[in-house]
Amino acid sequence: MRVCEVTGGNRVGRRAAIVLLPAAVFAAVSPLVAGDGEMGFTNYYFTDSGANKVVTTSFNLARKLLEQTTLLLDIELDHVTVPPITAVTGASRPQRDKSQPFEKSRGQVILGMEQGIGQNLTVAASFYRSQEVDYISTSAVGTVSLDMFRKNTTLTLRGQYNADKVGKILESGDVYNQNKFVYTGAVDLTQVLSPTTVMDLAYDVVRLKGLLSDPYLQVGVIDDAGGSVLVDELHPGTRTRHAGTARLSQYIPGIRASLIGSYRYYWDTWYVKSHTAELKLNKYITKDLVFGVDYRYYTQTGSWFYQPAYAGTGYTESLYRTVDYKLTPFSSNNFGLSLSFMLRGLGAPGSDFEFLENSSIELTYFRYFNTLDFSADIVQFAVKFSI
Amino acid sequence: MGAAGFMKTFTMRAAAAAVLAAVAAGLGGCAVVKAADRGYLAEPIMERQDHFSKQTLAQKFFSSREGSIGGASGIGGGCGCAK
Repeated sequence: MRVCEVTGGNRVGRRAAIVLLPAAVFAAVSPLVAGDGEMGFTNYYFTDSGANKVVTTSFNLARKLLEQTTLLLDIELDHVTVPPITAVTGASRPQRDKSQPFEKSRGQVILGMEQGIGQNLTVAASFYRSQEVDYISTSAVGTVSLDMFRKNTTLTLRGQYNADKVGKILESGDVYNQNKFVYTGAVDLTQVLSPTTVMDLAYDVVRLKGLLSDPYLQVGVIDDAGGSVLVDELHPGTRTRHAGTARLSQYIPGIRASLIGSYRYYWDTWYVKSHTAELKLNKYITKDLVFGVDYRYYTQTGSWFYQPAYAGTGYTESLYRTVDYKLTPFSSNNFGLSLSFMLRGLGAPGSDFEFLENSSIELTYFRYFNTLDFSADIVQFAVKFSI
Repeated sequence: MGAAGFMKTFTMRAAAAAVLAAVAAGLGGCAVVKAADRGYLAEPIMERQDHFSKQTLAQKFFSSREGSIGGASGIGGGCGCAK
């Protein structure tokens, strides 16, 4: 596979296509879903202190085909810009043309079907495919969901298999691919505790095999002669991740607000452990306008093979080494603000705009920063129709 | 994996299964809330997941910036983010 360089006019064209293509699909499909269904259109802008930029546009549709049969479709397009390499080990991007920004686009499609069986059982199957110049992911997902105790309890089991191609763009422009396989099992339990309280418990286990390091990252190693050499990262070829999450959602009728708190504990076979705590408050400002404020704290340990510096010839050969900051100990904070406008006031039953009854527009802003001097700003704009 | 490692893994999995079974059994004893009384829980501000949760994009960002993922359902694979 050859790399398509994105320059000048066609760069603008691609950016425009990323925003406009899903909008065109959205407009084209709208008349087809006059009936039971949900549609969403989301734009997502991301910049960080490393001058990386991501623009994402997504369109999704859930269309009821029969009484208990629903078609699921999700299309997502990304455009990523990574700045020129300024450090020795560089960012996660090809060394090729390293004085220029590296740009690439990514497309993703998820196609699925959900089938109800009786009153309390739902099964779903989805096929997933994403492609970018140096990464291809193909995945199949199966889900079984069972309602119990008069729908006060829902138990969901999910299995997923990924077969990914992890590419590296070489100096010649060719792409060298290596395999990565991911097996995921998950169980989620939702329990209604009272007319205003609901609890969620979840556990995931993920087994990864294959190339688990970043093909672009290089580690500086001090050899036995005292010199410094650059070698590719080397991570173990397998990893098993575990994560458990508990979430409690409380509606507060007196002030027309909700308070949602969650805690997650994570551990894996590379000895990375993490704690995540999050608290969110949503409050009706008017009948149709909701203000949300969110805080998330995250802390993790480093992997067993992470070192601030590597010395010894063994690290230029078979000993594991990394410069991936995601395998170092750090903490992060994330603050979010959101404003949602419900369009139900415009969709009186029987009117031409009845389809707006369960629709909304939402603007979200996140500010993220961590103890490694990294920060990011994320803006998300979403339109959701339930028709 | 040695015998000690196998026993440790087996014990952990058995403990996890026991906790889940106990939780499931315990939930049967929870007070049942009738469908007509669940209006507050259906409010949009309770953020119950629909087919395509808005959490997906936030989770995608965190999974590309932090060393731990999982614990919340979602589709994985290439993330199209500047790692």
